[in-house]
Amino acid sequence: MGASKSKECSCLRRRRRSTAYEEETSSSRSIEIEIQQNDRPLRTRARKTKSKCFSHMIPKKILCCLKKDDMSMTKIERTIKATLLIQKWYRRYMARLEVRRRYTWTIFQSIEYAGEQDQVKLYNFFNALLTHIPNTTNRTSESSTASRNSSIEDLDMKFEDESDDCEDELLDSSERDHKFKLEFPLDEEQLKKLIEIYRRRRHYRLHPRYVAEILKESIIKLKRLPNLNLASTAISKQITVCGDLHGKLDDLLVIFHKNGLPSPENPYVFNGDFVDRGKRGIEVLLVLLSCMLVYPGGVFLNRGNHEDNIMNSRYGFIREMQSKYRRNSEKLLKLIEGVYRWLPLGTIVNNKVLIVHGGISDTTDLDLIRSLDRGKYSSLLRPPISDSSAPGAELIDKVEWKQVFDILWSDPQIGNGCIPNALRGAGTYFGPDVTKNFLEKNRMLYIVRSHECKSEGYEVIHDNSVITIFSASNYYELGSNKGAYLKLVGPQLDTHFVQYMAAAGRAKRLTFHQRIGLVEASAIRELHGQIMTNKTKLEREFVKADPELTGYITVSEWCQVMEKATGLGLPWRMLKEKLVTVDPESQQVTYASTFENISSHKINSVQGASTVVETLYRNKGNLEAIFRIIDKDNSGFISLDEFSEACNLIKEHMPNPITQEQLVEICRLMDINKDGLVDLNEFLETFRLVDPESRQLTNTQDDSPPTSPTKTTDVQINAQDSPPASPRQVQLTEKHSPQESSECNNTTNSPTTRNTLLQSPVLSSRRGD
Amino acid sequence: MLDEEEEEIPVPINNDLERRIADTFEVFDHAGNKTVDSREIATIVRALGCCPTEAEVQEILMAVEMPEAPGSVHLSNFLPHICEIITEHKYQPASPAQLLEAFQILDSDGRGYLTKEHISTLMTQDGEPFTQDELDEMLEIAIDPHTQTVPYEYYINQLMLD
Repeated sequence: MGASKSKECSCLRRRRRSTAYEEETSSSRSIEIEIQQNDRPLRTRARKTKSKCFSHMIPKKILCCLKKDDMSMTKIERTIKATLLIQKWYRRYMARLEVRRRYTWTIFQSIEYAGEQDQVKLYNFFNALLTHIPNTTNRTSESSTASRNSSIEDLDMKFEDESDDCEDELLDSSERDHKFKLEFPLDEEQLKKLIEIYRRRRHYRLHPRYVAEILKESIIKLKRLPNLNLASTAISKQITVCGDLHGKLDDLLVIFHKNGLPSPENPYVFNGDFVDRGKRGIEVLLVLLSCMLVYPGGVFLNRGNHEDNIMNSRYGFIREMQSKYRRNSEKLLKLIEGVYRWLPLGTIVNNKVLIVHGGISDTTDLDLIRSLDRGKYSSLLRPPISDSSAPGAELIDKVEWKQVFDILWSDPQIGNGCIPNALRGAGTYFGPDVTKNFLEKNRMLYIVRSHECKSEGYEVIHDNSVITIFSASNYYELGSNKGAYLKLVGPQLDTHFVQYMAAAGRAKRLTFHQRIGLVEASAIRELHGQIMTNKTKLEREFVKADPELTGYITVSEWCQVMEKATGLGLPWRMLKEKLVTVDPESQQVTYASTFENISSHKINSVQGASTVVETLYRNKGNLEAIFRIIDKDNSGFISLDEFSEACNLIKEHMPNPITQEQLVEICRLMDINKDGLVDLNEFLETFRLVDPESRQLTNTQDDSPPTSPTKTTDVQINAQDSPPASPRQVQLTEKHSPQESSECNNTTNSPTTRNTLLQSPVLSSRRGD
Repeated sequence: MLDEEEEEIPVPINNDLERRIADTFEVFDHAGNKTVDSREIATIVRALGCCPTEAEVQEILMAVEMPEAPGSVHLSNFLPHICEIITEHKYQPASPAQLLEAFQILDSDGRGYLTKEHISTLMTQDGEPFTQDELDEMLEIAIDPHTQTVPYEYYINQLMLD
């Protein structure tokens, strides 16, 4: 059974370390350390200390009470006994809640990390395709993909022309929204107005013209910055560091409310991950960029792993932009991509403290990082392609790429050493020895990073030399965790943490019990999503465990199957009551009940049913490039031969090479009209079929041909057929008439369709089957 | 991550009870090396169904903590001790009836409820006192907002629902 992958119990760590820091506050400026009323870990700690004090006094008293029989006890003794009974009963009740809280946390984290891993593995596959197939250079420099990476000047001009055309349309539809005008250069007055309007109106949309202007101005400013910001507290005497915000504007507003707006006297470092997941990513991004424009000396922005258009296509930001800026999202996203490329990779404070989003590795070399050209990394998950490369030449400097990856994706670990981060699929796990060596070599005091959600909003490890700061409260669900920000004070850069939990608007104050229930329900929903994604595989494994088809397997067997099929190391035994029916007499599991009561509508599409394949589709531009690479004779069709040849070529470059069987499956899945050839639309269509959100989206999307009208194909593929010997003989078992190449398909939303397609080998390969 | 230099102490799991204990233990085992922080022992023991007092938790801790590694507890020490505790039915939780009786003792006037002040005083001064946080948490569920009292029979029913 896999152990929980989280490194340290954040509540305990905080308990130990925060004592040290709390003591330090008395000497420096008074900055409050706010502790919420229902702060679980603090309570536990306090309780322990108290009981230690009383324990020598109480036991005798209580033992006396317990030993005497009721008749002879005095009233006081009876009262004490009764009180004690209630207290211990209550503590047991709370302990059970605590356990639920813990495993709920584990569920969210496991699913989140497994998702990231998928992402990266798939991109390794397609990146390998892009880089190792001959004639890649010539092809891609001609394709539309290259234009995305072209210089920002070209991008600027293109945008300007288009937006002028669209402006008139927009004026009509968003009359109400556009009373608020921005004039450039921005000043403090306007910044405050912008923040205020965002605060008061939850659905306010800044006019795309102003959005574009902010983005463009930001790119110009950002481009001038070095790869590593240099911040100093010489004048301000302190600096504030914020971690992941993930589109949670409420949290940013809480921070500004408690800590003031940024300025040269009140400088801030924002450590990446401004968008994705939360609903107000663009607002957060625009506010932060505007702060930087108004106070260039007071705001330092670091790039996070979510400042990446490929991550955005999976984790919600692209969706957010498409729904908020229907007609202009594509153009705005191109500009945002420019912002991402030019965001600095980290900040160094007083030459003593390194602040980066992920962490470090044993090969992290700050000189190398300082000297590289960060502008060429549009998305980290896709190696940069340079137009000027000679054919056949290595297109990416892998060493340099790894440097950037490591600082944006790594996580600290408890044990020594430095190993690849298998959980995320990118970056490393770095141990305390790596930290120590790094700090010594670079003559620094400690590292501040973010990237991991912590229930207390922060965590200190590696003997006080690595601090995790996470500023998005309620990250997984309302009540799941606190957010925090970090203040570095004085010449020694002493650390002070301020915690908070943003109220979610209309949410009333919940008891701890209610919060647990809410978060737990959410986690279980996520899990259901994972279960449905893996339904076919699960069914297969269940049958293996129960060859006689009695319908029952033992609890142990069920746990093993769940872990193997989902790839999630969770405490399945503890969760079984919530997921499956157990026969009370035989204590055996009715495994079919694993799939009961899961409504497909309720699957949380961001984390649960979201697959690698649907992400690909949203990144249409890349798919086309890939298609053209594979289509060697430029016929407009990929034969299954061409596809398998492409895959064979890159086999040795992939971490988990695709087997022949899996290759064949992919081919089968793609050839929709059964003619043995895959054209571009089929190629794109294949990926679109599994995407429940793009179906909803396309109802509101702009008029680009492949995505409207919303239709899906009714494809019945029997995934349990044994694959034919050679790809050429692949025939899809289809139960409907042949389709036209583009949109006119029947709409189906049957779970079978979705699940069968989701069982595609590309997806299973990520679990290392 | 497992430190390669540490020996992996095998912990045989022979039956369902041991499995259940090991599973709960594992939720708190963050390093994946079958140890938990001592401060979590109280929570683990209670989550397994036992209902010890704080003093009794200290006794358990003394029995399972490793002298050579204070502050942490290994599953190999924990498992047998807890198994024994559970099979001997030590530290049984009170039944609803017993809980009701306990409240009735505190409610000397037999009014069917306890005032907020009274219960606060009791819980924070007698027995093994609650911290302010524990008290606040309890009152959140137990207090009837209109009357500012704890109608204890109702409270017990609420807790039992969980």
